[in-house]
Amino acid sequence: MRTPRPLPAAIALVALGAVVAVAVWRPWSGSADAVGGPAQITVSRSQCGQGWTGAKTGRQTIVVHNTGDAAAEVDLVEMSSNKVYGEVEGLGPNTSAPMDVQLGAGRYAIRCLIEDTDAITAPTVTVAGDGEGGPAAVAVTKNDMLPLVKQYEAAVAGGVADLAVKTDKLRADVDAGNLAAARTDWLPAHLAYNSLGAAYDAFGDFADKIDGSAGFHPLEKGLWHNASVAALKPIADQLAADVQGLQHDLPNEQVDPNDLGLRAHEVMENALQFELTGENDQGSGTSLNTALANLDGTAKVLAILDPVLKPRDPDLAQVQKWESRVRALLTAHRSTPVARLDQTSREQLNGAVGELLELLAPVAAICEVRRSS
Amino acid sequence: MTGVGRRSFLRGALAGAGAAAVTGLTVSADAATSTAVAFHGVHQAGITTDPQKQAIFASFDVIAASKGELAELFTTLTDRARLLTAGGALPPLGITAPPADSGVLGPDMPGDDLTITVGVGASLFDDRYGLKGRKPAKLTAMKEFPNDSLDDSLCHGDLSLQLCASETDTVLHALRDIARHTRGAMQLRWRVDGFQSPPRPSGTQRNLMGFKDGIVKPEPADHDKLVWVGQGNGEPAWTDGGSYQVLRQIRMLVEFWDRVSVGEQENMFGRRRDSGAPLDGNSESDIPNYSADPTGGAIPLTSHIRMADPRTPDTAASQFLRRGYNYDKGTDSVGDLDMGLLFCAYQQDIARQFEAVQTRLIDEPLVDYIRPVGGGYFFALPGVRDSNDHFGRSLLA
Repeated sequence: MRTPRPLPAAIALVALGAVVAVAVWRPWSGSADAVGGPAQITVSRSQCGQGWTGAKTGRQTIVVHNTGDAAAEVDLVEMSSNKVYGEVEGLGPNTSAPMDVQLGAGRYAIRCLIEDTDAITAPTVTVAGDGEGGPAAVAVTKNDMLPLVKQYEAAVAGGVADLAVKTDKLRADVDAGNLAAARTDWLPAHLAYNSLGAAYDAFGDFADKIDGSAGFHPLEKGLWHNASVAALKPIADQLAADVQGLQHDLPNEQVDPNDLGLRAHEVMENALQFELTGENDQGSGTSLNTALANLDGTAKVLAILDPVLKPRDPDLAQVQKWESRVRALLTAHRSTPVARLDQTSREQLNGAVGELLELLAPVAAICEVRRSS
Repeated sequence: MTGVGRRSFLRGALAGAGAAAVTGLTVSADAATSTAVAFHGVHQAGITTDPQKQAIFASFDVIAASKGELAELFTTLTDRARLLTAGGALPPLGITAPPADSGVLGPDMPGDDLTITVGVGASLFDDRYGLKGRKPAKLTAMKEFPNDSLDDSLCHGDLSLQLCASETDTVLHALRDIARHTRGAMQLRWRVDGFQSPPRPSGTQRNLMGFKDGIVKPEPADHDKLVWVGQGNGEPAWTDGGSYQVLRQIRMLVEFWDRVSVGEQENMFGRRRDSGAPLDGNSESDIPNYSADPTGGAIPLTSHIRMADPRTPDTAASQFLRRGYNYDKGTDSVGDLDMGLLFCAYQQDIARQFEAVQTRLIDEPLVDYIRPVGGGYFFALPGVRDSNDHFGRSLLA
């Protein structure tokens, strides 16, 4: 299981007298200070970033040295655009770390983020030259994300309500001994769960109960391998009960603002690992249909994130292009078990999902919640 | 490219007296000592380059949806190859993406003699990209010879990559980087990781049957008539500077082989196992004198070296440049070791060279101990001439 990423604030210790030193050094960067080794520019909380000399455009490495007694986060911000060009997270006391940055002409400042302390922005350094700036983005803050999290929670609540109706129907089929109907109703219920846009620990223990070692897949195995009604009844009953449990529990489950960006790529990471491989298939042959539901869930998350992504992700059009291509391929092959795909189709699917994932990984990075004040 | 500039500055800085003493932080030994093989040239690197120790041979199916996407693939391959072979840190992406580099080679990747050689297979010239009329004249799908046991999943492909470097991590890093940037345009079909064995105790490397392999090489002066495709020969003009690449995954049945007497082994190869000398000579560089041995009393008429290259005037044009690597792929279903030779040969004309030799070798005694299972024919593209050029420019023009 993936370890949830902590909020940046959570990694900082209580900071008293935290001191951050900044130096610029790269032996092949051609700057004068390279000859004498890294310049030690020490700045205290009241002097954060002072003494940053030799700044220029182009590639360079800034070495950040924390001489204080508390962990800190350091950002390099271009002040007129408010874009972050580099960051070092979790810089422990008495440690240093390089920040590889590529700067264009502009007005830059070091920002020191120390827990229990407002952000300290150093005096602005004007950088002039012809060098081209690298990729940068305005930091996404908790406040940016909170309204989106509310939308996401509402969407999930709606999805779970729909799921509950479908798992109840599935239970009724099995309880009535109508396994043909159950086989028909299993798929919409399973797709309803898989289009929620959830991955990994999203629903805590419920995830495993509903679509892990218990729940949908044991039921699938039985339904497609002639299990008896008596054997399937307890599984179907438990599944419906667990979905209701999830529905009741949902208001208590708080979505971490960081999770939204992570979901944008993790749902399809799961689809690639478990559906496109056929690993999750217990006999229904519906892996690609499930992957399509996963794509729907991802699209839902992307739509919610759009206001945050639009001004920040220059590849958003590419994300949409590859999402459409994956959708077209999955739709064309949705009824074919993975193992029966011809090699070309399978490679097209694997490649398109892989390309989409490469484009979704930046979404997660951009949407990582950062402090700016 | 930024990476290139930074690397050349580094080399310049280190060459300067005492420049290495700038280390307040360390310059890694690798970054400081490793070398970069020039990427730009009339021919691709990795063909006449002295074989580096480690290799990955990978074949891909191209899934690009259009000719435009195929062109993008070649541009991306060029950009990645240029960056990776130059070494240095990849351009930073700030907070907008995960790290640009897998980190496998550390923050400043060494050049490490990396070469990236790109080839195209006959299947790329089907209906998909409108390239039917552009196919190199001598390029076909790999032929199946009578003693072959080809597995289709280990054969053919639209595009081949030969990645060679001094260290294993360098070639793996390059493969990961290239795959990461080309997922939507090509998918891995098969791959073989290979290694060069060091001289034991001297001379040419030994294959996994214990014999020196690849002793005879064309003279550099003959490369224009044996290795490089030039104008004429019925070839389309865009192929100028390229070379045909034949890859064959030849499994060696080493357990069986190890149960054979050394005399029988030597008769099958036609060379002494210990020295590599032809059976009528004393050292590996001795040239066998077949006219003095017309009945095969010293070097059997059925031996590998004699069948492959009878050294007659009319077989001289069938010589080719070998650049093979030993491989080791684990175990098979009866617990025998799956290892052998990734045969790699560069030439001007597959039918005149590799296929002529392979035809002479049909039913040689050695076939009981080897099993060709995979590979493919490819055309190694002309070199990328300069920083404005890219793979496939002349092909797609």
